[in-house]
Amino acid sequence: MKKAILYINQFFAGIGGEEKADHAPEIREGLVGPSLALDAALKNAEVTHTVICGDNFMGSNQDEAVERILAFLEDKEFDIFFAGPSFQAGRYGNACGVICKAVKEKFGVPVISSMHVENPGVNMFKKEVVIFPGGRSAAAMRKDTKKMAAYGDKVLAGEKIGTAEEEGFYVRGIRHQVIDFTMEPAAVRGVKMLLKKLAGEEYVTELPIPKSDRVEIAAPVKDLATAKIAIVTTGGIVPVANPDRIQSASATRWGMYDVSEMARLEGGVYKTIHAGYDPAAADADPNICVPLDALRAYETEGKIGSLDTHFYTTVGTGTTEAEASRMAEEMVPFLKEHGVDGVIMTST
Amino acid sequence: MVKEIEKAGFPIVQMANLVPVAKTVGANKIVPTISIPYPLGDPNTSKEEQWKLRYHRVGVALDALATDIEDQTVFEVKF
Amino acid sequence: MKLELGNFYVKDVKFGDTTAYVNGILTINKEEALAYVMEDEHITEADIVIARPGENKRIVPVKEAIEPRCRVNGNPVFPGVTGGIAPAGSGRTHALKNTSVLAVGKHWGSFGDGMIDMSGEGADLTHFSKLINICLVANTDEEFERHEQQKKNKALRWGAMRLSEYVGNAVKEMEPEEIEEFELGPIIKRDQKIKDLPAVVYVMQPQSQMEESGYNDLVYGWDANRMLPTFMNPNEILDGALISGSFMPCSSKWSTYDMQNCPTIKELYKAHGETINFLGVIMSNLNVAMKQKERAAVFVAQMAKSLGADGAILAEEGYGNPDADFIACFDALEDVGVKTVGITNECTGRDGQSQPLVVLSEKANAIVSCGNVSQLIKLPPMEEVIGELAALGRDGLSGGWEGDEKLGPSVREDGSVILENNSMFCGDQVLGWSQKTMREF
Repeated sequence: MKKAILYINQFFAGIGGEEKADHAPEIREGLVGPSLALDAALKNAEVTHTVICGDNFMGSNQDEAVERILAFLEDKEFDIFFAGPSFQAGRYGNACGVICKAVKEKFGVPVISSMHVENPGVNMFKKEVVIFPGGRSAAAMRKDTKKMAAYGDKVLAGEKIGTAEEEGFYVRGIRHQVIDFTMEPAAVRGVKMLLKKLAGEEYVTELPIPKSDRVEIAAPVKDLATAKIAIVTTGGIVPVANPDRIQSASATRWGMYDVSEMARLEGGVYKTIHAGYDPAAADADPNICVPLDALRAYETEGKIGSLDTHFYTTVGTGTTEAEASRMAEEMVPFLKEHGVDGVIMTST
Repeated sequence: MVKEIEKAGFPIVQMANLVPVAKTVGANKIVPTISIPYPLGDPNTSKEEQWKLRYHRVGVALDALATDIEDQTVFEVKF
Repeated sequence: MKLELGNFYVKDVKFGDTTAYVNGILTINKEEALAYVMEDEHITEADIVIARPGENKRIVPVKEAIEPRCRVNGNPVFPGVTGGIAPAGSGRTHALKNTSVLAVGKHWGSFGDGMIDMSGEGADLTHFSKLINICLVANTDEEFERHEQQKKNKALRWGAMRLSEYVGNAVKEMEPEEIEEFELGPIIKRDQKIKDLPAVVYVMQPQSQMEESGYNDLVYGWDANRMLPTFMNPNEILDGALISGSFMPCSSKWSTYDMQNCPTIKELYKAHGETINFLGVIMSNLNVAMKQKERAAVFVAQMAKSLGADGAILAEEGYGNPDADFIACFDALEDVGVKTVGITNECTGRDGQSQPLVVLSEKANAIVSCGNVSQLIKLPPMEEVIGELAALGRDGLSGGWEGDEKLGPSVREDGSVILENNSMFCGDQVLGWSQKTMREF
């Protein structure tokens, strides 16, 4: 019989309401509150432990809470982890998302939660955690728990998992291709969709446009004349031997190259390996993609304080957002160490 | 990548030809380049013209780094 | 302007003393065929190998696919390419169905080349597993691009085109088993009954990404990069006026075979007079600079509007920066009141989590999605490889790689492969066969 662990907050553990919201994390052997319902609903696992944490403790001391809970779990055997259901409770939803994500990253087990559609935790965590739509309040406890358990059973039994729509959890923005020979060819689907659109009838697009997300605008460089500037590029400019073997497409590797002694990048010494565009111009004069010559001129003139010793490079075509983010995250410590104040990124 | 670097606190300017792409992926400061295979220097023009264009647009990017903005901004270039 | 496609349904292809088509069997005199192909001195060695549906064969690197045809009036099948320029899209062209001629590198692959498995799981990922493939497997003297990732593949592609005409000529004088007729009357002179139906244009965006000539799709032999959008009769596309290039990552590619058989055009023809008034094709392209994309969108929208289109189907041969053209035209068409449905593939990454198109727009609210170029695919070894398997990992094909920390090389020692859907030959079938879509997981 496989083993499951459930995370709940102080209220559902019966410890108390708001006044106990900073209850420190603890783990109890056996079933507490909602874990009874979960244990009953699960066919392929038993709930062995219940983790309890106050919503405010998690909210205000997230890192510590996670650290403590992961430590509790270190010596426990478990195959799957659940959190909630958290209904419409924002702090609880956030806590469920945080702990599920951490448990998944550390222990690699499937993590499942449940939240009402308006719970902010949904949009924050649906990509990393399988979250089932839940009711507004504890009145939906039984129903929501059953949904989590049914899916959990499926996963534990190694059954084939269908699309988000088929399984019933929140669409995560994870899109994969599916071959379906019962489906009409694209040409037929296209004409049919057009006829519906022309007639003002309802149709279903196969590519719903996702919402974009923005990052907070960083404070501008205070004084350019004393600032250190770095160049980052996705145009794939590398030394001709491509020493770090950066891929020409779908890159997972990046490099940083010392240009501190150079006034410009020379063709024949540097080149581009980016397969998604005509390389002729960049090979002949890499400065058109990594404008070292222009930046050196500004450095000499005193418009900027200095140029970073290195430039940073990878290839953009076909590269996933996840890999690109990771590579940028890896570049950041170097930018910090080098005392960079501002970055110019060139893309092709 | 622009977002990760900006999240870490670095002001950053995206120089790219496909401004709609840069906007969609969420770069806050954008300076247009002239094309994909040759962002800052058209090989069909003279070396002087290429240099002039590159020097100007990189200059706009540097100024953009030091500029305070309220919202996603595409900075104008003269040529 | 009436086009008659006279179809001959090939049951099998074999080699023999005389090139002929009798009772469904196409016989090819291999020596004669190769002699014809090797009239081009740039082809240094060549062979023809047959691959049939269901056989345990893998073909890689595949550069092009062409349906063997001939014109009964003797004109070139590909005007401006394999011969002089004459209008395409009217008169009688004979076609050998169920078969295609493939240009296959004996050794060397390139970015835009792909793979075809004739059986097994891989067969589901390309249309060409369903055809009897006449594979021209050859090597050339094109040293200038031997080790380049981007190749023009000119000798091989032209060789395959010429071979397809040679084979097609076998049925030049014969009576077709079936005749498909394609005719659209002059737009302003159609019956009122037809004029009352919603008017639709098909906007095609063939790839034209390279600045230098030799890599892009061609229209009557003219580089699509050097064009502004123009108006064409759909018959022209069905009849050899448009041919494929060599740059595009292969699952997004429209091979010449795809163009000759364009399912979307055939579907629009079926609907013509019944539910739509099919006006014709607006032939655009996919140039790289932002201004060129914007300019093309201006032309596309103006033509659609001036022609009186109510609706449009928009198809993009590519992903990445071409998505900007796709969205630019989508927006421009919607802005002038032309209701548009787009057909394209996506690039959501191996983890499925990346943004599907590089540019998004709320106006692009009707899209048929044909697949994920990044989808990771594992396939077992096949008994016979036509071409060279190592090319997949070694020569920079868009979906293959030499080494990866997590996944290892694309080509394993036992002949099994791991690759991105990107390299399945014309796998996303955006011109209309695709029975693939994208779903949320």
